[in-house]
Amino acid sequence: MLIEIENLSVTFHAQGRRVRAVEEVSFSVAARESFGLVGESGSGKSTILRAICGLAPISAGQIRIDGKPLPSPRGAAFAREVQMVFQDPYASLHPRHTIDRVLSEPLAIHGLKGSDARIEQALTDVGLPAAFRFRYPHQLSGGQRQRVAIARALMLEPRILLLDEPTSALDASVQAETLNLLTRLRAERGLTFLMVSHDLAVIDHMCDRILVMQHGRAVEELSRAALASAAMTTDYARALFAASADRMLEG
Amino acid sequence: MSSLTAWLMDPNPKSRLQSRAAQTWLSWLRFRRNPLAMIGLMISLALIFMSVFAPVLAPHDPIAQSLADRLQPPLTPGHWMGTDDFGRDIWSRILFGSRITLYIVLLVILTAPVVGLVIGTVAGYFGGWVDAVLMRITDIFLAFPKLILALALVAVLGPGMVNAVLAIALTSWPPYARVARAETLTVRNSDYIAATRLQGASSARLIWGHVMPMCLPSVIIRVTLDMAGVILTAAGLGFLGLGVQPPLPEWGLMISAGRKFLFEQWWVATMPGLAIFIVSLGFNLLGDGLRDVLDPRSAK
Amino acid sequence: MTLLSVRNLRVTFDTETGPVQAVRGVSFDLDRKRLGIVGESGSGKTMTGRAVLRLIRPPGRIEADQMTFDGQDLMAASDAQLRALRGRRIAMVMQDPKYSLNPVMKVGAQLMEGLRQRDRLSRTEAHAKAVAALDAVQIRDPGRVMEAYPHELSGGMGQRVMIAMMLIPGPDLLIADEPTSALDVTVQAEVLSILDNLVKTRGMGLIFISHDLRLVVRFCDRVLVMFKGKIVEELAARDLLHAKHPYTQGLLNCLPRIGGSREPLPALDRSAAWAR
Repeated sequence: MLIEIENLSVTFHAQGRRVRAVEEVSFSVAARESFGLVGESGSGKSTILRAICGLAPISAGQIRIDGKPLPSPRGAAFAREVQMVFQDPYASLHPRHTIDRVLSEPLAIHGLKGSDARIEQALTDVGLPAAFRFRYPHQLSGGQRQRVAIARALMLEPRILLLDEPTSALDASVQAETLNLLTRLRAERGLTFLMVSHDLAVIDHMCDRILVMQHGRAVEELSRAALASAAMTTDYARALFAASADRMLEG
Repeated sequence: MSSLTAWLMDPNPKSRLQSRAAQTWLSWLRFRRNPLAMIGLMISLALIFMSVFAPVLAPHDPIAQSLADRLQPPLTPGHWMGTDDFGRDIWSRILFGSRITLYIVLLVILTAPVVGLVIGTVAGYFGGWVDAVLMRITDIFLAFPKLILALALVAVLGPGMVNAVLAIALTSWPPYARVARAETLTVRNSDYIAATRLQGASSARLIWGHVMPMCLPSVIIRVTLDMAGVILTAAGLGFLGLGVQPPLPEWGLMISAGRKFLFEQWWVATMPGLAIFIVSLGFNLLGDGLRDVLDPRSAK
Repeated sequence: MTLLSVRNLRVTFDTETGPVQAVRGVSFDLDRKRLGIVGESGSGKTMTGRAVLRLIRPPGRIEADQMTFDGQDLMAASDAQLRALRGRRIAMVMQDPKYSLNPVMKVGAQLMEGLRQRDRLSRTEAHAKAVAALDAVQIRDPGRVMEAYPHELSGGMGQRVMIAMMLIPGPDLLIADEPTSALDVTVQAEVLSILDNLVKTRGMGLIFISHDLRLVVRFCDRVLVMFKGKIVEELAARDLLHAKHPYTQGLLNCLPRIGGSREPLPALDRSAAWAR
């Protein structure tokens, strides 16, 4: 197993109160697999991704990648292994950096050469014209920004991509294009996805296995087949499925 | 001209330089719409023009005394602003005084905001005890009235222009540290900082390349608005005899010298006073205009 | 009877780089029915909703050949006349209750404010009316909610409070701009059916603005599909599956389905002639 998460708990301390955002969640993801975390707001699904990246405090449990526990702080080697795409493309790109700067930054940090060619290749890979290279983020649409964010995450050629609601801030037609792009990139590069979404249909489209979460706890793990045939065993997973399927308007 | 505008308006810039120039051009278009800000800019440019060309513009030597011409009223032929008690031409002295004012303003701009920016961003970025220590030091400086602290510093260092600048710089960085820290606190938890940290960026790189550019606009606005205060403090120190020393034509010093004749020869103190007033107003208007252009919150 | 009639509505923003048209000639009529406006971001759907209340600030400009509400010319109305209309006869529910409720005022006080000032009701009467309004949006424990601050409420609860607040003056027209897109799926349906019920029982007109075509179809009688500031298709909700316009079809097909195929999702062809 490439990613192993064992009894992970995350506790935030805010104004003297302890908030348990994630409680004893365990799952594992195989190499080249696409794993989905689904749940509503406050279910702790995004917090798990942030804990993997060292952006949220781990109070108990362990995260292993390739069988090795993660170092703290995560360090440069981790950065070349695991990258993340954030939910809001309007917040995840520096407003005063050009696309060129955004994409060259990871290369500069790791002292990699040939940034001109790499940046143009990266833009082509995510389906953006090379002419966009010196634009600022505010000169791009939401979908184009998210493509830049994906290109940035792939600059260091990681094996694992953490996707935190990568399309929930996008329009439906742009969501379709972005999901297609992610699927293509995964196939081309043999990436492992750990994807978070509140949208069961998106997760179902993208992932092989799914973990349903509620209030920081794991509710039920489902395979794609089990989800399609509505073979869930817990009430919450069933309610979530019903609410999502309700909107599908078969036709 | 039109090809330059086309180059600036190109939606697909070909180089970093071009995209930056295009952004500056857009800011300028926005700035230009505010007439008061344009007046402020004009005044600031006039100050620079005056100080650069003072030797050419000045009809007389600002220091040479001519006791036969002392205390001539304004509009006297050859002395349209009149003369002071040593017969020196006030207009020439104001022209050369603008050099001193500009020198003080530039030195303060180059020191205080930089110190404030570094301390503020470091404190805000790291938080915890680093923040506590740096901010308590800032609070200590803020606890004293600015002019009193500057006076005390000059009293220790000895009067003189450089020491006056030093005193002003040392007393004016804390507000910039405060502004920069507040801005850093909102920026530090943003996704784009998290994304860069995830790529293995060091703290120094994050602060310098990612946090500081976000704090810069508010600090620049604050600096421009504070310039009036800096000029007034410098003039105040000059007035009290602790800043620039006579016979240099510093505006505060000129007011101080003129106060003896305020009722009979009002122009001796009034002319430099007007100069201070106009320049302070100019910087204030400029700062207000810059806020409209640079502040991301008020834009849109 | 036509409640709201809009002819050739245009909203233009003057920017540094020249005028930008957000709404380019939109016309529609609404009686006491439910009208949906669907489109993606930048389609001008929100601007259309705001323009009806003339809630567009400079540098934006509103122009229309005709815009009448219940016989009153909205384009010629004075600011005072518009203020009298807003809230009282035309109400608006925004996307996120977090930004629409005053964070330092108790919910009850906010609900009662209008009643006390506009309608000059006594404290007890206003309180009773506010509780009744919360009851109407199916808040089980109105007493507690009245005494709560907005941040103590969940998103769904906050949005219900907003709806209650908007419905207290008994408006004739409700403009709901993405009223549920900040909410969880399981809460969305609940809030929508409350809204739907209120509109039906009180005989109001509803303009429901959303990016979600499927959602709109379930809660509206008629749907306007907008793209780049223009209406590309207007159709009865029940005919949606027979939509003719490629954009409408694209919006319908591009969403993934549970148990659907793993083929690439059909994307919109933005280079087609209609997209110009």
